[in-house]
Amino acid sequence: MQLNKLFSAVMLFGMYSLLSAALFVSLDAVDVALTEASVGAGIATILMLGALSLTTNRQRQISWKRRLPAALVTVAIGVLLLYGLSDLPVFGDPAAPAFKHVYPRYAFESPHEIGIPNMVTSVLASYRGYDTLGEVTVIFTAAVAVATLMGHGSDTRSFSGEGMEHHLILRINAKLLLPMILLFALYVQFHGDYGPGGGFQAGVIFAAGFILYGLVFGMSTIREVAPPKIIRILCAAGLGLYLLVGLCGMLLGGNFLDYNVLAHHPVHGQHIGIMLIELGVGTTVAASMIGLFYAYAEHEHRQ
Amino acid sequence: MHFVTACAILITMVLTLYRGMRGPTLYDRLLAVNSFGTKTVLIIAVYGFFSGRPDFLDIAFVYALINFISTIAVLKFFEYGGLGGFNRDAGREHS
Repeated sequence: MQLNKLFSAVMLFGMYSLLSAALFVSLDAVDVALTEASVGAGIATILMLGALSLTTNRQRQISWKRRLPAALVTVAIGVLLLYGLSDLPVFGDPAAPAFKHVYPRYAFESPHEIGIPNMVTSVLASYRGYDTLGEVTVIFTAAVAVATLMGHGSDTRSFSGEGMEHHLILRINAKLLLPMILLFALYVQFHGDYGPGGGFQAGVIFAAGFILYGLVFGMSTIREVAPPKIIRILCAAGLGLYLLVGLCGMLLGGNFLDYNVLAHHPVHGQHIGIMLIELGVGTTVAASMIGLFYAYAEHEHRQ
Repeated sequence: MHFVTACAILITMVLTLYRGMRGPTLYDRLLAVNSFGTKTVLIIAVYGFFSGRPDFLDIAFVYALINFISTIAVLKFFEYGGLGGFNRDAGREHS
């Protein structure tokens, strides 16, 4: 399907992400579905609209001759992927490599090694702590890059964009929903050990609440609630907290990001470590997303 | 019972998808996307009870809360032509 109107493409992208989250649900990957739900349906659509406001609505017409190489590359990669697909193990095959290598340890040891019911959190935050540190660094770097290119929210209050307070129903609804969104974000953050969720999802939901506030009540109001300066500091502080927990493990005689030594009992140490790094992840993600929103919303002012 | 409900919701999802693709005006599409989100919330909840995993309700919650925000972002985009709300009437050209 080809769409020239970029806005329709953004809308369909939102629908696509809803559908793929439904797919993750039916594959029983609840954590991934939660991420897709909060990132794909919430933040991505908003940021794409922000990007759309800085560009035109229609794609430039390009002659088919110039499109041909791109089409050939796409088809070639598609064929290669299909070829690779034939080598994948059957869905649910117990002999698949995914169930062989580290899976037995994660699945059978983690309940008494880490001691939390949600296996995804123990893999993400403890066994694979390095990888998660990398992901948080990527998000932080992306936020810094956008801030460098487009400017971060300025600290002066010399301008003010209009809010949408004059729409009565919208204003009341936003006021009713905001506490729920923030509360739910905190629930996802701290209940991530027991149910689906964790720092990434919680950060995105938290940021979405702030963005709703900014959309409805105007940029000058949200900048008083969440000053860009503090957002910038928090963005780095979350990553710093993560690194600090890792270094504490080293100073107390363990490896980097080894939480066993954080408390007298290893399982207790794991609990403290996971809670702290999830807090760091959530802080960085939420601050980065709010910073991105500032960058997009204020850049259009400067143009 | 759950199965019949899920089928009914899926049919309405197809209907809203059709409206979203076809929708002559912007507001048809917008309403289609919004109600598609609502239907997703419902189908996730029904599927959760169907397969005996009530923790799927968390995802349904996220949708119910987040879907609202992106709809508002779209409306603001069309009223002001951007998210910051700096130039009124600029959004008209998009529709």
